[in-house]
Amino acid sequence: MESQLGLIEQSFNVRYSVWAREALDEFPDNFTITDPSISGHPIVFASWGFLKMSGYSKEEVIGKNGRIFQGPGTNRRSVMEIREAIRQERPIQINLLNYRKDGTPFWMLFHMRPVFSKEDGRVIHFVAVQVPILRKLRRLSGSGFGGRNGVNLCEDGSMLRETVFGSCRREVCSDSVVELGRVLALDSVLDSDNGELEVEEPCEANDSEKLRAATAINNILSVLTHYSESTGRSVCGKRGSLSGMGLLGSSLIISLGRIKQSFVLTDPHLPDMPIVYASDAFLKLTGYARDEVLGRNCRFLSGVDTDSSTLFQIKESIRMEQACTVRILNYRKDNNSFWNLLHISPVRNATGKIAYFVGVQIEEGCRNQDRQGLSPEMRQLSVVGAVKVAVRSLSMGASPSKS
Amino acid sequence: MTTFKQFEDERHLLKYSTPEQSKCTWLSFQGIKVPLYRFGSQSLTDVGPSGGLSCIPEEEQSILDSLLLAQWEERMWKGLFKYDVTTSEIKVIGGKRKFLAQLNKGWNMDCFPVPEENNVCHKGRPFVFNWMKDHEELLFCVAHGEKANPELIPAAAVPNGAILILINATPVEYGHVFLVPCGYSSLFKFLDARSLDMVTRIAVEINHCSFCLFYDCCTPSASHPYFQGCYFPNPLPVELLPVMTLFGDGQAGIRICQVTDYPIRALLFESNDNLKVLVEVVAEICSCLLGKNIPYNLLISDCGKKMFLFPQLQTLASSCTLSAWECGGYFLFKSGYEFDCATEEAMIKRLNAVSLDDEGFQAVNQLCCSIASKFTS
Repeated sequence: MESQLGLIEQSFNVRYSVWAREALDEFPDNFTITDPSISGHPIVFASWGFLKMSGYSKEEVIGKNGRIFQGPGTNRRSVMEIREAIRQERPIQINLLNYRKDGTPFWMLFHMRPVFSKEDGRVIHFVAVQVPILRKLRRLSGSGFGGRNGVNLCEDGSMLRETVFGSCRREVCSDSVVELGRVLALDSVLDSDNGELEVEEPCEANDSEKLRAATAINNILSVLTHYSESTGRSVCGKRGSLSGMGLLGSSLIISLGRIKQSFVLTDPHLPDMPIVYASDAFLKLTGYARDEVLGRNCRFLSGVDTDSSTLFQIKESIRMEQACTVRILNYRKDNNSFWNLLHISPVRNATGKIAYFVGVQIEEGCRNQDRQGLSPEMRQLSVVGAVKVAVRSLSMGASPSKS
Repeated sequence: MTTFKQFEDERHLLKYSTPEQSKCTWLSFQGIKVPLYRFGSQSLTDVGPSGGLSCIPEEEQSILDSLLLAQWEERMWKGLFKYDVTTSEIKVIGGKRKFLAQLNKGWNMDCFPVPEENNVCHKGRPFVFNWMKDHEELLFCVAHGEKANPELIPAAAVPNGAILILINATPVEYGHVFLVPCGYSSLFKFLDARSLDMVTRIAVEINHCSFCLFYDCCTPSASHPYFQGCYFPNPLPVELLPVMTLFGDGQAGIRICQVTDYPIRALLFESNDNLKVLVEVVAEICSCLLGKNIPYNLLISDCGKKMFLFPQLQTLASSCTLSAWECGGYFLFKSGYEFDCATEEAMIKRLNAVSLDDEGFQAVNQLCCSIASKFTS
């Protein structure tokens, strides 16, 4: 335990100079910094605003995983989206129900971003800002708050907070049909007393809250960047090679996360068609780390003995927007080569346009991959199908019911 | 290309090896060998969410899901479809209901696989199948099994009582298949509990949140009952609506709700952990509706846990005028102009036109609740 706490202290102090804490304490915002490289992904820094909001003391929070703030009403799918974002080392902004120490729930906008090492592009920390979501009810007439519409809800009394929560709860109810209901076992939230579910103002963060979160996170990142320079271990908010890379939606990432075979998605609309998604199995097969492949063109898998006519064939089918299967000699990070039975296919989004190309790899001779009667070739095609279904999902845009 | 050769060869070899005659009178499976998925020996009650199978996205793809997607993608790769359905555009029709519209120029509701020698669509007799040369419309079949766990046999004769999973050349969405009960059920002209049980179980074991099943009951014209299924990547509008509980039985875990504020009056049947009773109740209700000459559509979503019932007005045409996905709020358009001009008002009107009136719907509600209490008491 002692050493774990030492690690946590070090995690922050090694990267940032002694003045960093002071500078961070200047911010009124609620935020935490976590270290994914320590087991349990613990909180290594919590702002005073966060402690005040959550009702915990600093000692109770440091070293704990963020999940201690979740409770029975926390949307499991949202938690999963956050987990996936961490796994994929991506930013995420999502509405989340958390719980204070005294057990009272509150809605907040959770905005998290990875902090990278400038040196090697590894993720050093995650910064997560929590902006409380507070809403006035549209129908306050019967509830006795009619005259208090002008009250600043940020400095709320507990009664108002309850009302706010009440409206959010309803949102959970109707939202549960959308997302929760598809994901979780049916809960009894839709009881008959909720039969006349009026659609209240959705308890989603509005633009000003989103802006607040984004501004806060940028301020924090610039402080971290600034105070990391003197330690010689600089950090930055963007992974150098990945700047400008399009971000995949979190629900797409969840769907892709179910597919356990080796595959990558490449984006033909970005210069040099970089990899924008790599599955865990791909990293295992090739021996590279995720940050070593994201943002790069697939050609790093080729080597001296790779047949250039095969590469040409791939290039041609991509140009013709057609699927192809080739047998190509690829190289792992340790320079060992393997025969890759590669299938490449265009993948279209809801508008019918090509959004990505998927490349599914099978290592030749690795026949023990047969899974209960499905041959590797069939599993390869099932990956293509699953990716096509996932990518075709329409982002509902203005719809308030999707996060 | 070479990667599929082995698979192909296997099929060709096996095709003529064991002439095992299936009992389906309207289809001949002599000598055909296809992949066969056998359910585990547990019943639906045991495989319900509490029994281990559930729709949790962090899980791996199920075997049945992989099999369906792989077979479908393989047919697509071979060019068996008239068009690549993923090139068709989907959009949300403006308005608060968020109806979905798809522009699909090649789609033809009545056109089933066209026989090569006889270029006629069999309107109204959809299941007179005229097989493509290599019976490639038949992706695989699903049957009960004796082993504890589900198993996939790469090539087997079609057993009696199986559900055939077929494609046609004009899909509605990715993974669009027809699920046709064959064997014992071929004696029945209409949906029976056994078929509903099997297709529900397919939805459960596919375990993919986007996979929906559809059934259109077109009374009284007799045709072989069949379901359709496909992956609708977005939830259908009807799935997003608030509901009002009409019947809830905590013990049996089934619940009947009325979908509130939707242009076609609809009921939702759901079960947390007892799909078997859910299936029995819905099958019984469907057979009663049929007895009363009330046409209806069924939409099964959420990995088999939710069934939407859309009773329709009996029209002169004596057949369903809307398909189950239309009832769910998903509309197909063959022309770009219609697609661009689609309005929420027009869609509401379309749904409204076939909706039961309050009185008729009340009667259906009462029927449903009384059947449900019979099964759950």
